[in-house]
Order: sequence, then structure tokens, then C-alpha cells
Amino acid sequence: MALEVVNVYEHPHYPNVYIIELEDGSVRLATKNMVPGKRVYGEKLYQWEGEEYREWNIYRSKLAAALVKGIEELPIKPGDSLLYLGAATGTTPSHISDIIGPEGRLYGVEFAPRVMREFVTLAEERKNIFPILGDARKPREYRHLAEATDGLYADVAQPNQAEIVADNADFFLKDGGYMLMAIKARSVDVTKSPEEVFRREIEILKNRGFEILDIVHLDPFDKDHAMIYARFHRRSKQ
Amino acid sequence: MEKWLVQHAVGAFLVNENNEVERFEPNPKDIDQAVQEAMVIEGWTRGIKEGTEKVGGLSSAAKRLLENLKEEGFEGTIVFETEGESREASSMGFEVKVVPANDKAIYVRENVAELSVKYGMMESKEEFYDWLHKLTIEVVRRKLRSVAQKRDLLAVHAVRTIDDIDKIINLLIARLREWYSLHFPELDDLVKDHDLYARIVAEIGSRDAMTVERLKELGLKEDLAEKIAEAAKKSTGADLTETDLEQLQKLASIVEDLYSLRRELVDYISYIMKEVAPNVTALVGPVLGARLISLAGSLENLARMPASTIQVLGAEKALFRALRTGGKPPKHGIIFQYPDIHRSPKWQRGKIARALAAKLAIAARTDYFTGRDIGEKLKEELRARIDEIKRVYQKPPKREEKAERKAPPARKRGGRRPPRRKGGKRRGGGRRRK
Ligand SMILES: C[S@@+](CC[C@H](N)C(=O)[O-])C[C@H]1O[C@@H](n2cnc3c(N)ncnc32)[C@H](O)[C@@H]1O
Repeated sequence: MALEVVNVYEHPHYPNVYIIELEDGSVRLATKNMVPGKRVYGEKLYQWEGEEYREWNIYRSKLAAALVKGIEELPIKPGDSLLYLGAATGTTPSHISDIIGPEGRLYGVEFAPRVMREFVTLAEERKNIFPILGDARKPREYRHLAEATDGLYADVAQPNQAEIVADNADFFLKDGGYMLMAIKARSVDVTKSPEEVFRREIEILKNRGFEILDIVHLDPFDKDHAMIYARFHRRSKQ
Repeated sequence: MEKWLVQHAVGAFLVNENNEVERFEPNPKDIDQAVQEAMVIEGWTRGIKEGTEKVGGLSSAAKRLLENLKEEGFEGTIVFETEGESREASSMGFEVKVVPANDKAIYVRENVAELSVKYGMMESKEEFYDWLHKLTIEVVRRKLRSVAQKRDLLAVHAVRTIDDIDKIINLLIARLREWYSLHFPELDDLVKDHDLYARIVAEIGSRDAMTVERLKELGLKEDLAEKIAEAAKKSTGADLTETDLEQLQKLASIVEDLYSLRRELVDYISYIMKEVAPNVTALVGPVLGARLISLAGSLENLARMPASTIQVLGAEKALFRALRTGGKPPKHGIIFQYPDIHRSPKWQRGKIARALAAKLAIAARTDYFTGRDIGEKLKEELRARIDEIKRVYQKPPKREEKAERKAPPARKRGGRRPPRRKGGKRRGGGRRRK
């Protein structure tokens, strides 16, 4: 039996993210469903005061986990444009799509045809999702299909992700734009005993114009990853 | 003097050192053509292997822009973002430089929506984004189609499964009807639809439980439900126990499941066909399209067939017979299932079949070799041709063809073979009669 919703309100720190209170006293994270009636990955739908909300599963979405772990802020807001690397079947992108709303744009890059088949179906339902079947290591190959964006989100699970992120930022991210990146990190206290790989990735980001604003580990929702939040300072290239 | 050439799917921008767009040349707004241009810019070609270095190039808009510049005697350097572009430009006689993600390119990408409105290509930013949304989806679809390794074979297996299911259903339903008629013989005539028959038996079972309400719950119309309930009361069939009925009902529910699997397969075929062969699908629908691919063996085989072969695909037996006996070749194979063929008068069918086969050949080649979507255009052209055939050949032809053929006396009607002794099955359209 589905639990009754007893209250819904906006998250005090993260605008456009909602908290659903259920009758048994438990709470869920959610976003307002842009396409009412439609699920994306089997998540629960909740109705409250004429609005529909989609549960944002903190075990399935690293961004949701980062919010629960108290990341400094959620910079994504309605009307934003974003470049999303590693869109997969669109679990996290679908919630970002809810947040940015009809005025926003999410350009989702994914190179695996199998998952892209599902992602493109999602894009057909949501006019703010622009699918790109391409390799995030080669931003020049899709430079003509997107635009310069307010934000960059990366979750491509590649060993040299920082470099990939920086290359894409050079091509697309506006000066002062924000960047969120899921990064592999075993040790929970990422700042104290950072692993070698982790430290190198951070170094690359700093050298390429990123100002690191926050790092949170996603344990216990995702034991192997941390989320980096940074701001990009563009350097001139003639 | 340096100028920057920045390419986007909407067109090519020439920017000066003050971040001013000096020129804009639009790419075609038509999505299909715009996709072609986007592929050129990316350097994407069909069948390109993962990891292969793509050499991007100049869209037709960029070429036009550069040609104009050349004619006006521009002397200076053009800055590009990629080697591919710069190489093409240098072969046109320009001095070139390559600076990926240069400031001017960022400027264009930051303002591309406004710029496309400013230069009159789009009415509004909304229109630009709607257009770009369609374009990106279409680019992905086209790429997916070409990496669709063997996905056509999924449709082939699904459509063959449908044929298997039909055979099994026919077998089982014949048994079910005979068996259940021991109990309620009148139902056999009252419900001709197999799916419905199986549902009534599976869900209700005993004829004593066949009330009007119960039948209506299963989706039957009022008057049919009444007739059945009436007949059930007066039935001459034998009484069966629950145990007797149980086995029957299991059989009936398996038949029902087969029907529902069949429906799901049809949906699945639509989904796959839209992806691998949208043009063939636009012409003849997903199921007939899948049957054609099934008969050809693969989309590739179908794409390599001449229209004349496609026309008789599925009527091979009739064709070989014709070749052997010097009789009349079949006019159509499986495409007989196309409504405009089997619903038209006989003398028009061959002509419509030829027209359809010609379009199918183009559709299959386009689906296989380029992945472009020209389905609507093909459909319109076919429609026009069929209308023309129907107009020009409204009346049946005179019997003059009789004289033409020196039919051996044994044949009863023009060119047809005498009936086979064994009553062999006649497959494929050409020989079907109403
Ligand atoms: C961990 S999954 C992303 C999950 C997704 N971000 C979410 O939360 O819904 C990583 C994805 O990145 C894709 N990927 C890996 N390397 C890539 C590359 N070089 N270019 C584009 N996509 C890549 C993989 O195919 C995979 O789908």
C-alpha cells in the first residue's frame, strides 16, 4: 500500500527541491514533475495540492545524495542552461529538467548507443532536454549542437574526468559558470586523506580555472563517490 | 587582419576582433537538410568506428560565406576551431589558423539564439530552441540507426513469432471450441471472434454463470451479452463439473495470453521499425515493413534488391511456377497486404504494386545507407501516383489481352495453370481471388 502524503514544502536550502512528508513520518526528496503522470526510472509519484511530485531517489542519483549530504548550495535554477556529461538513461537529468523548467535547456552528452536509445525517448517528452550522442572527450565534435551554458554537470566515470570537464568548460561554460562533478573517492574524509588520483584531479581543475567551492562525500548513499562543486573563471583565448 | 569563422548547426558566423558578427550565412532550416549539414560539421559518416578520428568540415553555409569573402578580395587570416575546417579553407586559398574554443566562438555560442533571431533566420528565441530540440533528436536518431547493429533482426524475429503465434492460436482455438462445445455448443456460432471466445471461457467458464452483467464486464455489447445469456439458459450441452471446466479454462487463458503477447509484439515491432527503418515504415506500416525485411533476410538485403524483386517478395513459389510453366508471373507478393492493393480492382493492382515497390526500394536504401528521414515525401508521392492510377485506369481493360497470349488449350482462363490435383496452397497475392 502506498503511503499517504501529509505535507510537501520547498527545501529550506535548495530552492525548487521539495520535501515530501509521509504518514509514517518518513521524508523524501522530490522535484515537481514537468510531465505529470510520467515516471522516468520507476520512481514514486506524489500528488499534493494539485501538483505532482517525483521522488528523487538518493541511492540512484548522486546529485540527490549530495543534497542530503549538505552540499554548500544547489546552483541549478529555473531557466538555466546546462551541459550534462554522461547522461545515461536520464535519471539525474530528468530531475534537473524538472528544476530548470520549460525555459531551461539541458544538453545531455552520452556515448553509449544502448542507453542513448532511452535518453532520446526522454528528450522527446521533455522539450528542455537536448540529446547528444557523442564522446565527452571531444567537445569540438558537438560544439555546433549546443550553446554556451550556465552550468556543467559531469558524471562520466572516466579516469581523466577533470581534464574532460575542463575541455568542455573551455568550449561551453560561461565565465563564472558553475560546475558539479561526481568523482571517484574511496576515503570518506576526502579533504584529510585524499588519494593520489583524487588529488591530481583537483589539481587539474584548479590549473584550468576552477575555483573549488565545496566537496562532499556521498557515503552511505554511494560509497565510492564524492561531489565537487566549483566555479569557472574563463581565460581568454584569441 | 584576422577574422573568426564560427560554425553552428544554424549557420556560419564571421566575427571580427571587436566581437561583432560581420556576416551570417544560414544553413537550411529544413530539419532533414540541417541534419546533413550538422553531420558534415562533425565529420560523421555512416559506419564510422568508435575511436576513429573524425575530420570535421565546412557546412554549405560556411563554404558560401567563404566564397563570397574570396570574391570580395579578402586578404587576411581566418581563425577556425578545428583542423578539418581550416584545411578546407586553406585549399580555397585562405590563410588559416586554428584556435579551439576561442573567445569569438564562445561569444557566438553564448548568443546563438539571439543571433539567429537578429539575422532573420528565426522569429524568436523560442523558435530557435524548438528547432534545435528537433534537430538534436533527429541527429541522434540518425546516428542510432546506423549503429543499429542487427536491430533489424529483432523486428524479423518478432514478426516471425507473430506468425508462429497465429498458427498456435488457430490450433488451440479449434481444439478449445470443439471441447467447450460439449458444454455450450451454441456459443461457437454466437462468438466468431477467437480472442473474445477465449476470454469468455477463461474468465467465466460455466455457462450457468453467464449473466448479462458478467458478460458486459468482459466488454461485450448489450445485445450480444443478452443473446449469450439467453442461449446459456436453453443450452443443449452437457453439464460439466468444476474439475472438468478447470482444464478447459486453463487452455482458454493460455490462448488469451497468446493474444496479449501478439499485441505487445506489434507494439514492439513499431518501436524497432521506427528506429531502424522509418521510411519503409512510413510507407507500409511497421508490421508489413517487418515482413518485407523478414522475407529479404535483413534490411541490408532489402536495400540491395531491385524494385521488381521487392514487388514479388513472398510470392517466390508462384514466380518459379510461372518460370517453369511459362505462365503468368505474379504481380505482387506480400505487399498484397497493402490496403490500396487488395482493396483495388484487380486490373489496377499490378500497377499499384509496381509503384509501391519502386518507393519501397528507395525507402529501404535510404533507411540502410543514409538513415535520412524522407518518409513523408515518399508517402505523398506514392499517394499521388495511386490516385493517378485510379483515375487513368478506372475501367477494366478490354479483353484484348486474351489474343496476345497463345495460351495452351488446356487452360481455362488466360494463362492460368489448371488446378493442382493435390490442391496445393497458393501463397502470395498474385493468385488470390475474391
Ligand atoms: C555513472 S553513469 C551516469 C549516470 C547519470 N549521471 C545519472 O545520474 O543519471 C556514466 C555514464 O557516462 C557515460 N560515459 C562514459 N564515458 C563517456 C564519454 N567519454 N562520453 C560520453 N559519455 C560517457 C557512460 O556510458 C555512462 O552512461
